[in-house]
Formats: sequence, structure tokens, C-alpha cells
Amino acid sequence: MSELVVFLVAFPLVVSGVLLLVTKGAVRNTIVVVACGVVAAASIVTVFAFGNGDAVFFGLPGGLTPGHAILVMEAAIAIFVVVVSVQNGRIMAPIMALAQLGIALYLDLGGHLPEPDPQRLFWFDRLTTVMVLVIGIVGPLICIHALGYMRDYQRSNPQIGGRRTSFFFLLFLFLAAMFGLVVSNDLSMLLVFWEVTTLCSFLLIGYTRTKETVGYAFNALNMNLLGGVGFSVAILLLAGQPGGLDLARLTAGPAGAALLPAIALLCLAGITKSAQMPFSSWLLGAMYAPSPTSALLHSSTMVKAGVFLLLRLSPAMAGSTVGTLVAFVGLLTFLFVSLVAVTEQNTKKVLAYSTIGSLGLVTGCAGIGTPELVWVGVMIVIFHAVAKALLFLVVGTLENRLYTKDMENFDTLLSRMPRVSVLALAGIAGMFIAPFGIVVAKWTAIRAFLEVPGFAGASFLVIMAFGSSLTIFYWGKLLIKVLSMRNIEPYERSVEDRVTRYEWFAEIVLAVGVIGVTACLGLISDHVVGPYATAAFSAAPRVFLHLDPAMVVVMLVAVLFLPALALWSARRSGYDEADFYTSGRTANAGHLMGAALGGTQTVTLRNYYLDGVVNGALVFRTGTLVCGAVLLAAGLVALAVAR
Amino acid sequence: MSPFAWGVVFVVVAPLFGGLLAGADRIVSARMQGRVGPPLLQPFYDVGKLFQKEARQVNPVVEPLLLGHLGFMAAAGGMAIGGTDLIFTAFVFALAALCLVLAAGSVNSPYSFAGAERELVVLLASEPFFILMLAAICKVTGESTFAGVLASPVLVAPQLPGVMLAFLFVATIKLRKSPFDISTSHHPHQELVNGLTSDMSGRLLAYVELAHWYESALLCAFVLLFFNWSVPLGLLAFVIAYGLEVLVDNSTSRAKWQLVLRSTWAVTLLLTGGNVLALFLVGR
Repeated sequence: MSELVVFLVAFPLVVSGVLLLVTKGAVRNTIVVVACGVVAAASIVTVFAFGNGDAVFFGLPGGLTPGHAILVMEAAIAIFVVVVSVQNGRIMAPIMALAQLGIALYLDLGGHLPEPDPQRLFWFDRLTTVMVLVIGIVGPLICIHALGYMRDYQRSNPQIGGRRTSFFFLLFLFLAAMFGLVVSNDLSMLLVFWEVTTLCSFLLIGYTRTKETVGYAFNALNMNLLGGVGFSVAILLLAGQPGGLDLARLTAGPAGAALLPAIALLCLAGITKSAQMPFSSWLLGAMYAPSPTSALLHSSTMVKAGVFLLLRLSPAMAGSTVGTLVAFVGLLTFLFVSLVAVTEQNTKKVLAYSTIGSLGLVTGCAGIGTPELVWVGVMIVIFHAVAKALLFLVVGTLENRLYTKDMENFDTLLSRMPRVSVLALAGIAGMFIAPFGIVVAKWTAIRAFLEVPGFAGASFLVIMAFGSSLTIFYWGKLLIKVLSMRNIEPYERSVEDRVTRYEWFAEIVLAVGVIGVTACLGLISDHVVGPYATAAFSAAPRVFLHLDPAMVVVMLVAVLFLPALALWSARRSGYDEADFYTSGRTANAGHLMGAALGGTQTVTLRNYYLDGVVNGALVFRTGTLVCGAVLLAAGLVALAVAR
Repeated sequence: MSPFAWGVVFVVVAPLFGGLLAGADRIVSARMQGRVGPPLLQPFYDVGKLFQKEARQVNPVVEPLLLGHLGFMAAAGGMAIGGTDLIFTAFVFALAALCLVLAAGSVNSPYSFAGAERELVVLLASEPFFILMLAAICKVTGESTFAGVLASPVLVAPQLPGVMLAFLFVATIKLRKSPFDISTSHHPHQELVNGLTSDMSGRLLAYVELAHWYESALLCAFVLLFFNWSVPLGLLAFVIAYGLEVLVDNSTSRAKWQLVLRSTWAVTLLLTGGNVLALFLVGR
């Protein structure tokens, strides 16, 4: 087990180092494809080696301890941040990085750091298997997709030059850090991996090095370093406590009053990383990066690290006021970003809001902390990873072929790019139509909220009812565009033939994954997620057992319905059906209709964005303020209780 | 009889119920307008005729989507009565409505598209209410299924006055009654022509009509949940509520979508949300 876990972290690290040296495209492609296969195989082997038992703890091979290596890594990270920030004239990031380094120096050199148990450095349980599979299967698919995507991307962004080597270096470094993050039990070790993911996302967001993207990159860096500072202070507080920095001991049950401030600070770190309000803006800025970056940040890395930590902390904050306030942050974020999403026309941003909203649900579930809700949270993590990766990759493909991210320009996609449409529909069906995570999860969550007493329970229900209806609206608009049809000229079809085989491979595998995970819903629940929730809370979740056969059938039909429909209609190209109705005035498939005073006029159909009813920017600002206030309250409550 | 059998009964009987309701609706509306009106069974004749007519297909996806609309609508009702978790059926209900939106949206005609967008708006307006209503009913009774609520000794209606008032308001949307019939129109000379259904003809239109009958029957089933101690009382309440809807339909003109959205959300938030909050605070 120990060797396998070390391999999982070390192998992508070595590959990333090698990729930094390779400049030849063909060689890089081969290395990436082979390495992706190895990473996927290794993660599957590791999960099988773990089997399906309860949590295991272990150390490094040979009983080694990290010792001062952690301090060295922290110092390297801080120095890197200082150098980059000075080059770009930024002030906040180095302050926070140095503050973290100061804490690390104080703890390590001052001898305040409790000696970690060499046999409990790593923690592997069912939640870890979920994360390892998500990182190890979805992550490599995104890397393979990037081989095709980046070639075209570089063609339209020539200023990037030879930096494509560093792009793949970062992707693999990211995967290595994520593997390390999800298996660490020692918090100071976890922090190092945590900070590496922060740096990776900083560099990936600023990859094109335009003024705009550098600004977004520093925004992401600042917010995540703030979370990192919270993490460091939490370690400082925990260092003097009896449980020390052992994450499993910390989260074994409801935390005592003395531990609450540290728990609240760790939640702050989780909330920044999973881009919850008031820290949502960094993930939206990340949308200007190349699409594989978005796919990676959204599905298998970065934001998933945030909710992973929150889910881990869930048993510790269950039932406390801090937990309830964290839940409010998550669920209010879900409501606010869903409301903003209905006003957004940029498809990548809509996807980003949807991610933040889904993670908000997970945060809410983790904050309340019942076995049912943690079941919901883990389910969302799984389904969201597969479906959202697919959607971002498809949008990336569309962007490179149609030169647009605007939802309105995706109209008649089913006629123009039928095969890509099938994949897009599989992704959308996976995200929000039954049975995926989101619907089963929403339903289970509503049932669980019924049992939360008082004001909180009622608020959660109302938030859920409105939030989930908003998701129908923005997904519905995207679906209308993708599903619409018209007669097209044969040359328009050729667009689809330019999609690279790397992209097809990654997208098709993920689309099959969407259907596969759906079909295995019961298995995943019975063998992995259910037992995990039971183990974490020493009580079995009840609600999901109500899945009856009628439900499962309807859900399977629902998820297959749209992709199957698209697949079928794609074979019926060049249909000669009737023209649509335009009040008796001549119309044809080219969207022309007779104008009032003679002549013809082009018809343009634009979705509703609730102009005049919902002001997206205002809602976003309000949400940031409200959630910021709730988060602050959570911190104050933790302090007051600890006194 | 098992709940499952009741579900099957619903799938078979609901169209008859919905069709008769539509027939009665037309007679009552006609009398309000000083006309005699068609025979009670006219809706059945109409749908029968639609099935015989040629369907004008604008593209290949409309018909499957409309079948999806009909199928999911029947499934939502059948599942609700047949013992599936009530809150879950709210999602199937929404999925059915979405299929109709997609069918109309895929056509690309200005009128269908406007209808589709407006239908999406009314879906957004009404969906929070239905989720909250079903959640509140489950909260009050501690049950999760239709049969369970009917068998519960707890009287639902007295505890949910706000939710019932809001139901009257929101049902106007689902029954496609004025002032909330913004996505469709029975009168082709209006701004929307026929809205959602502008490009649907023959059997395609018949599917939409049948689905609407299922929808009406499902709404009636929801009313029965409020009066869980007496089915006849529930039916009477539904008839009275429906009569009010017809009256409102005939005495108001179509509202703009902004008003529909704002007012429905306000009603849902204040009446339903307030009622739910009271339940949780007084709390069992």
C-alpha cells in the first residue's frame, strides 16, 4: 500500500520533470499518452489493493519521516511566490506567503511541531478511493484531450511560443499534488500539497501571460494563499492540542470547544479553494485560461481539494453553530451563483457558476454533517467530476472550431456538429437531468433538510427550492440552443471533421463514463459511499435506501433520452421537413422572413437572460457580501465558543 | 389495492379525467362569455381528429421530445400516486415540462421560440413552489408517499393555509390560464400566434393536449394531499379552485413575463416560505 501511494505521487512528478525537458511535439505526445495510461492503471491498482475495507493508516516505506523536508518545501514555495510577485509588482501574495513561512519556521525550528507518528502519515479509506479514482481517471483524460486542444490553441495564440512544455509539466505536477493531498493524514504534509495546487493553478491561469490573465492569476493566488494562511494558523493552533496534526483523530467525532477555531480556519481554507462566496471570483477569472485548465480545475483537481477537506471535517463540525454557518455559506453560494448564471451568456462562465453552485451544495452538506448529507456530498463530487470534465472539454472543442464561447452561437449545433452534440447532451444530462448526482442529491438533500430543526432547516429548504429551479433555467437555455436544427450546407459539416482524435478519445470515454456511473449508482452507493458515510458518523445514512425501481428506470431513461435522440437524429441529416411558421410570410431554413414593408429580414433568436429582473453583477456583489458576513460570523462564533 | 396498482390506474384514467375537465372548462367559459359552448366530450373529438390529421414535421427531434413530454408527465403522475417519494416526482414533473420547452425551442421559429422561452420562465417561476409544497406536506405528516399522506392521522390543510393560497396562484400557471398563459395562446391573432405549439400539428398537438390532461389530473391529486382526511372534500376543493381559475381566466388579460416571474416568486417566498418557516419554528 505504502509503495503504491508513493508511486502515485512520485510517478506524475517524474513525468512532469521529463516533460519540462522535452520540446519535440511527437515525443511529448507519446510520453503524455503512455504516462496517462500508467497513472490511470496505478490508481485503479491502488484502489484494488486497498480493497473495500475500513480506513488504513501507514507511513513511508522504511519508516522514513518527512522531517525538515516539509520546511524546505514551504520555503521553496514562499520564495517562488515572492520572486514572481516582485517581478509583477504585487504586494499581497508575498506577505501571505511569508506569513506562512514564518509560522512554519516557528513551528519547526522552535520545536513546537509535534512529532508525527511515522505509521500514520497516510490515511486511505473509501473517500480516498473515490478521490484517487476521480484524479487518476478523469485527470489523465483531460491531459490527453489537451494534446489535441493545445495544438489548435497555440495556432490561434501564437504568443505562447515554446511554453507548451510548461503546460504539460504543470498538468502532471497538479495530478501529483492532488494524489498527495488526498492521501495525507498529517496536516503539515497536506498543507504542502495544498500549496502546490495553489501554485499550479496560479501558473495555469496565467499561462497566456496577457495582462488580463496575469491579473486573474494573482487574484486566484491571493485568495488561495489567504486560505493557506488560515490553514497554517490552524496548524499552529492544533500543534499544542493533544490530537496534534493527525487529521483522522481530529475528525473522528464532534470537535471540542478548544478545537473549533482551528476547524473554522480549515473550513476557511476549504471554502477559498472550492471557490465559495466570497471567494468565487478567482474561479471565474480562471475561465480565461485554456479549456483543459478549466476542465482540470473544475473536475478532478483544485476545487475538489476544497470540498474534500470540508467533507473530511464534516464529522468534526456536525451539530455545531460553526458547521451550520459553513452550511449557510455553501447553500447561499449555490443560490446566488445560480441566479447569476441565468444572466450569463458565456458558456464557460455558465459552467463555472454551475460548478461553484454544485460545490456549494457539497459545502452545505458537509457543514450540516449528517450521514445522509455526506452521502449526498460525495455523490455530487463523483458525478460532477465526470460530467463537468466532459462539458468543459466539449466546450473547448467547440471553441476551437467555432471561435466562440457564446451560448447563442451554439444554436443548431445538432445540425452542424451532430457527434459533438451527442457528447454535449450526455454531459448536460449528466449534470442536471436525473439521475445524476445533482437530481438524486437534491432530492436526498431536501429530504434530509426536513429533519434540520428551526430557522436553518426552513431556510435550507427555501434556498434549495429556488436554487434548483434556477439550474433548470440555465441548462434549459443551453439545451434549446444545442438541440435546435436547420438545414445546413454540406461544407458546414466539415467543421466537425477537424476535431482531433485526442479530443474524441477523451470526450467519448467521459461520455461513456457518465452513462456508466449512472448505471452503477446503486453499486457505488452500496459499496463505497454508503459505507463511507456510515464509518465517518458511526451511523448509516437512511434516505437513499428509498431508491425504488420506478425511480431507477425513469432516471436511466432520462439520462439516455437526449443523447440517444441526438444520435438518432444525426443519422437523419438532410431531412426535407416543412419550414417553420412565420405568420404566412415566406420563411426558409436560412432564417429569413418577409419584412413588414417588403424585402426580407434575418431572424435572430436570443435566449432570455432575465434582463431587467435579475442584475447579475448586483447579485454577485450581494452574495459576496452576505456570504462574507456569514463566514466572519462563523469565525467569531468559533472564537467565542473556545473562550 | 397496492400503491403500484393505483399508479397504473392513474395512467389509464387521468386522460379521461383531464379531458372531461377540459370539456367542462369550455362549457363554463362559454357561459361566462354568453355562449352555449361545445358538448362536454368535445376535447376527445378534437384529439381524435388531431390523430387522424397529417403531422407537419419541422425537424426530426420534435416528435420524440413531445413523446418524452407526454411520457414523463404520465410517469410523474403515475409515480406520485404509485408510491414513489413525492419530492422526487417534482423533479420528474419539471423534466416533463422541460421536454415541451425543448421541442418548441428546437423548431427555430420566432413564435415557437418565444413560447419556449416564456415556458421556461414560467417553469422557473412555478418550480420552487411545487418543491416547497411537497416538502411541506411531507414535513407535516412525516410521510413521503401519496398513500402515506392520505393514511396519515395528521390533517394537512389546517397546517398549510399559506401553501394552499399560493397553490391557487401557481396553479394558474400550470393550467395555462390567463393572466399567466404567457407561453401559449388559444387565439392565433395575438402577439404570440400559438406560442409553444405554433409549429405543432396533427398528432404532435394531440400529444401536448394529452400531456396537459395528465398535468391537470396530477394537480388534482396534489389538492387531495391537502385534504388527506377526505377524498370527496379534496375533489370538491379542486372543483372550486378550478372554477376560480376559469373565472380569473375570463376576466384578466395576459401579463408580461416579468410580472409573472416576480409575483410568483414573491407569493412563493412569502406565503409558502413563511408557512414552512412557521412549521419549522413551531416544529415537531
